[in-house]
Amino acid sequence: MTNKIQQLIALSISALLLTACGSAPKRIDATGNEGIVSIDNVDFKDWQIAAEKGIRSLLESGTLNRNDNRKNIIMISSVKNSTTQHINTRILTDKIRQALLRSGKALTTTAISGTGADDAASRQVRELANDPMFKQNTVQQSGTVIAPDMSLSGEIVQQQNSLGRREESYFFFHLSLTDLTTGLAVWEDNVEIVKQGKKPLLGW
Amino acid sequence: MKKLILISLCSLLLISCQATVNTLDNTEKTMQATSIDTSKVSTDGFLKDRLAIIRVDKKQRDDGLLSIQITAKNIRTSFWSQASSWFMGDNPYQIAYRFTWFGADGMEVESAASTWVPLTVIPGDTVRLKAISPSAQCKDFSLAIRENEGGRK
Repeated sequence: MTNKIQQLIALSISALLLTACGSAPKRIDATGNEGIVSIDNVDFKDWQIAAEKGIRSLLESGTLNRNDNRKNIIMISSVKNSTTQHINTRILTDKIRQALLRSGKALTTTAISGTGADDAASRQVRELANDPMFKQNTVQQSGTVIAPDMSLSGEIVQQQNSLGRREESYFFFHLSLTDLTTGLAVWEDNVEIVKQGKKPLLGW
Repeated sequence: MKKLILISLCSLLLISCQATVNTLDNTEKTMQATSIDTSKVSTDGFLKDRLAIIRVDKKQRDDGLLSIQITAKNIRTSFWSQASSWFMGDNPYQIAYRFTWFGADGMEVESAASTWVPLTVIPGDTVRLKAISPSAQCKDFSLAIRENEGGRK
């Protein structure tokens, strides 16, 4: 009986110690460097660094400047995911899109993108023509949506390497801006991020 | 006494393994950057002993955007600085920086890509922190630099 009580106490203490090892969830600064750094994945910080460097390069290039007092209309084409991970490249393109709008150098279209319309409403509202429910002179006319001048596309490539317990991931973010009149790339740049870590001696 | 000599020798061996950067550049410069005062750069005292801000260049571009370049140098190249850096685990030195932009009225202009950017600075190396204003509304800037604890070994 004494043995059983001792075992129970030991078990309780162990459980208590294990519980004490955890930490309470907390919110961290989304722009800071306190986030989790994983070797195989693109973390939120990686997206931010890629976006910051990509936007800076694009604005510095002066490619978006025009002499005719008109702003370039840019469509977001596709950013190909050539990594081994399932990642949503929209985090990158949305940041670039917002920066372009705020810069005042370009406008982006949601009527068309590499994966169809970002916002289907532009097409849907035109389908209201001849719908008796709607006052016809308030329905958007066909032939008024502005077509894009340029297209932003890219690719994310990952290369993994390991030596002993040391692991490494190399992420290559490539971005390009194509002039849709000529089909020529008027701006291209890439952002490289390398992450390295050591596997623990025991465990995973 | 023997112990002291042994410790010193060990330290010397360890420090000799640390890499510093040696630079060479032309003395007759042809570049004409506009240097401005550094009162708008803020660093903490601890960081000041490690990273020296050498110059701040500002250029108003024809398209209205403001281009900034901060030149900084890791000055921890002496023997004891190296020993201390090795002991503290900050060699190479890991920093993070962030630019903030202001309009003519002094109000902060939000940027879609404002974030702390991590950077590694090897002792003796000169780095250039570059930024371009998010819009032509921006007339002023502020740069914050801090140690990047997350980047330490």
